[in-house]
Amino acid sequence: MSDQATAMEQTSAGTVIVEARGVSRNFPQRQGLFGEKRDVWALRKIDIDIRRGEALGVVGESGCGKSTLGRLLLALDDPTEGTVTFEGQALNEMRGAPLRALRQRMQMIFQDPFGSLDPRRSIGAQIADGLRNHQTVPPAEINAEVARLMDLVGLDPVTATRRPHEFSGGQRQRIAVARALAPRPDFIVADEPVSALDVSIAAQIVNLLADLRDDLNLAMLFISHDLHVVRHLSSRLVVMYLGRIVEEGPTEAIFAAPRHPYTRALLSATPSVRRPAGYRGAILEGELPSPADPPSGCAFRTRCPLAVAACAGAVPELEDIGDKRRVACIRHADMVAP
Amino acid sequence: MTRAQRSLTLWLAVALILVAFPIAAPILPLQSTVAIDIPGRFDGPSAEHWLGQDELGRDVLSRIIWGARASLIVAFGSAFFAAVIGTILGLVGGYFRGLAEILAVRSTEIIICLPPLLLALLVITILGAGIDTLIMALTILFVPKYTRVVYAATLQTGALDFVTAQESMGTHPMRILARTVLPNIFPPLLVQFSLTVASGILLESGLSFLGLGVVPPAPSWGLMIRAARAALDVQPLLLLWPSLALAGTVLLLNVICDRLQEVITPRTAERGGAAWLRRQLGLTKPEPVADDTPLLAIRDLSVAVSTERGTIGLTDTVGFTLKPGETMALVGESGSGKTLTGLATTGLLPNALKITNGSALFRDCSGTVLDLAKLTEDQFRPLRGNDISMVFQDASASLNPVHRIGDQLAEVIAEHRKLPRAEIDTLVVDLLRRVGIPDPEQRRRAYPFELSGGQRQRAMIAMAIANSPRLLIADEPTTALDPTIQAQILRLLDGLKDENRDMGMIFVTHNLAVVKEIADTVSVMYAGEVVEQGSVAEIFERPRHPYTAALLASVPESESTRLESIPGTVPRAGEMPEGCRFAPRCKHAADICASVDGLQTLADGRRTACIRWETVT
Repeated sequence: MSDQATAMEQTSAGTVIVEARGVSRNFPQRQGLFGEKRDVWALRKIDIDIRRGEALGVVGESGCGKSTLGRLLLALDDPTEGTVTFEGQALNEMRGAPLRALRQRMQMIFQDPFGSLDPRRSIGAQIADGLRNHQTVPPAEINAEVARLMDLVGLDPVTATRRPHEFSGGQRQRIAVARALAPRPDFIVADEPVSALDVSIAAQIVNLLADLRDDLNLAMLFISHDLHVVRHLSSRLVVMYLGRIVEEGPTEAIFAAPRHPYTRALLSATPSVRRPAGYRGAILEGELPSPADPPSGCAFRTRCPLAVAACAGAVPELEDIGDKRRVACIRHADMVAP
Repeated sequence: MTRAQRSLTLWLAVALILVAFPIAAPILPLQSTVAIDIPGRFDGPSAEHWLGQDELGRDVLSRIIWGARASLIVAFGSAFFAAVIGTILGLVGGYFRGLAEILAVRSTEIIICLPPLLLALLVITILGAGIDTLIMALTILFVPKYTRVVYAATLQTGALDFVTAQESMGTHPMRILARTVLPNIFPPLLVQFSLTVASGILLESGLSFLGLGVVPPAPSWGLMIRAARAALDVQPLLLLWPSLALAGTVLLLNVICDRLQEVITPRTAERGGAAWLRRQLGLTKPEPVADDTPLLAIRDLSVAVSTERGTIGLTDTVGFTLKPGETMALVGESGSGKTLTGLATTGLLPNALKITNGSALFRDCSGTVLDLAKLTEDQFRPLRGNDISMVFQDASASLNPVHRIGDQLAEVIAEHRKLPRAEIDTLVVDLLRRVGIPDPEQRRRAYPFELSGGQRQRAMIAMAIANSPRLLIADEPTTALDPTIQAQILRLLDGLKDENRDMGMIFVTHNLAVVKEIADTVSVMYAGEVVEQGSVAEIFERPRHPYTAALLASVPESESTRLESIPGTVPRAGEMPEGCRFAPRCKHAADICASVDGLQTLADGRRTACIRWETVT
């Protein structure tokens, strides 16, 4: 692992490795048996950059498109519009063997530690898959490399011959992390990796991911609906609502003073042990509109306490408001101080 | 060797012995299958002919054994070839979809449209009778069956995370199909195999019976059955032998496939032995208990599971009290026993689990105190949905998908109260409005799938409060919801408590932040025991048990960049450490922790299970 770490330190830290420009994804749906096809946009015009040694946090509620974004960045799905580049290579133009070779460098960690491992094969064999696919190490060294990876994520290498059902949820998530690290990736998408875990176990995995990010200089996309977890791991945050980025910037700045009403509502809705007992913040009424029939203008206006007539007009652009922050709200100035 | 493996070995051995006979037929001292002995026609079993002689005086035993060769070769051969072809088509069609799906799957479905016997007749007429043709005809017939089964299983498996994980690792698609998808669709494939072999034997009999399979005088079971039918009135035994052989083979094959499936499926649910007999007290009315119970008083409640290896305790001496108008959070991680305690209180424990000790005294609407731990199912039914009701985590699984939510709600009310239909309808609309479902007059006609997750949870809460319960048990009611919806539901539950001050609520959750917002008191559970109890304000301010303290420290809200985490994992049921169950993971553990057990009440009325609380908290 020290070889890997030093090798990576030689490449410059902080350079952009994954870039999405104007990425949209449409899943057209037919209305009824003979109806017209209707556009259902899961993502609209997403621009993001992810740098080495950085875990970019993505938060939002179900249906906001955060998981679709993760799949697009890993080329598991192609954007309808826009491009995703990995170190300058456009992923949507690649197919077959070159794409599979590139996949060595980007990996995924899933939410469900029970569904993401093949129940019928030993965990050692599953970790070794990534090594074999890309000949990361010579065949003779595979067992040693599996042991090293298991050790790295805090598992006893002796257990490599066991099958997943013999492990607890937290241990399985460690196995999934070891498997993702096997091909020595530069970029990892972690899609709600701790949501299915118990509190004390989730803390172990969050710490593990933070260590790996720093030690291996990994670029990470950390997807979660839990703002507190994201805050721990990510210095930069993207907040999504109905397929669009509504706010983006340094995590601490967003926590201290959210500039989009949705971010503020999300913060106040997330329960906290640090608030006084029985605390009740402002509660957002209503539910997420259907992506098949989004409101005109700003998608959040139907639930927004600050909405005015102008919000129904044009879709608000992500606007640079300084301090590396961007927000898509025409009334962001009113959010500054009460 | 597990029980399933032993059983499989046994049946395989039986099968091997039976198969050995037809294989060894040429060297066995059998009589000729074709030697005709007219004087011995239709003779019954004798020393010379153990199973008797047929219509031409031929030996039945040797014809059965030789006939098995033809029958089994045809059945296994066609089932095997069809399995190989069908599996490949199904895998390719299900995994790649698109054109591959049309070519591989849809085309084979054309075969299904043709009557099977007609198709077999067609093939045999073109190619001529004989075992090879028969295998080919049956293979064509069986391929679509495999294709469909494999196709459906592949669609299902292909959507699972571990297959996506392989894709994202850059594994070649063919390798994914062979190494990841195929082993995971094996169980349905195996079932299909046992079914087709059985139907292969039957079809061979049928086609030979029609004179299209095995050519006489060569024996086969089907030919024997045909000949025996004509002589049924003369010698019925002739029909019995081949039929027995046929039925026995099919049954044996089914048993083996069943056992094989048990063995290759990891962790098939352990068999719990015979279903546990529910306690029957023989009482029609529950016995009232004299007590000063406020609303609910649980004492020393223990739940255990009975397994092959004996009884394993799951929760141990759990105790707490709940007053009317109070919300108590039962908080703990998975395996702590918080949900079991809730289920035990409502008499909804699964059959393999039973209450082994303790009492759960509950004061019902009439003021009578009952011991819930001793009620029979019949005594519980009038309480559930009336005095006691539950809200579960997964509303979509708890609501009946084929009934309108208004009807389901009306049913809950009608179950416990005799009211005219119109009055119930008004109540339904009222309830839906109370739980915040917009436009209740219209929405009550909606089916559960037409509602969003948050609205389904609201509908379930409406069912729970329909009869103004005294005790509401909410088991992780907001865990599956998004933060903004969770906040709405928490506010709703809070409002219900204010509307009905006689109602007490047990809120089961793993989320400490939710506890802080909704509960008045907390019982923290760990490994089947309550480790700490007290008011929310006190416990969050100053935990008196190292587990509570560690749990609070691991919530990702602290200012420090590194989260506190608790090393190790929760001990498994049946492997509980002596003394304090948290000691092996506790950073304050000392020698004394291995010997003590039990909650102690502190001066301020709080309770902790930590013997060293004064020094460590």
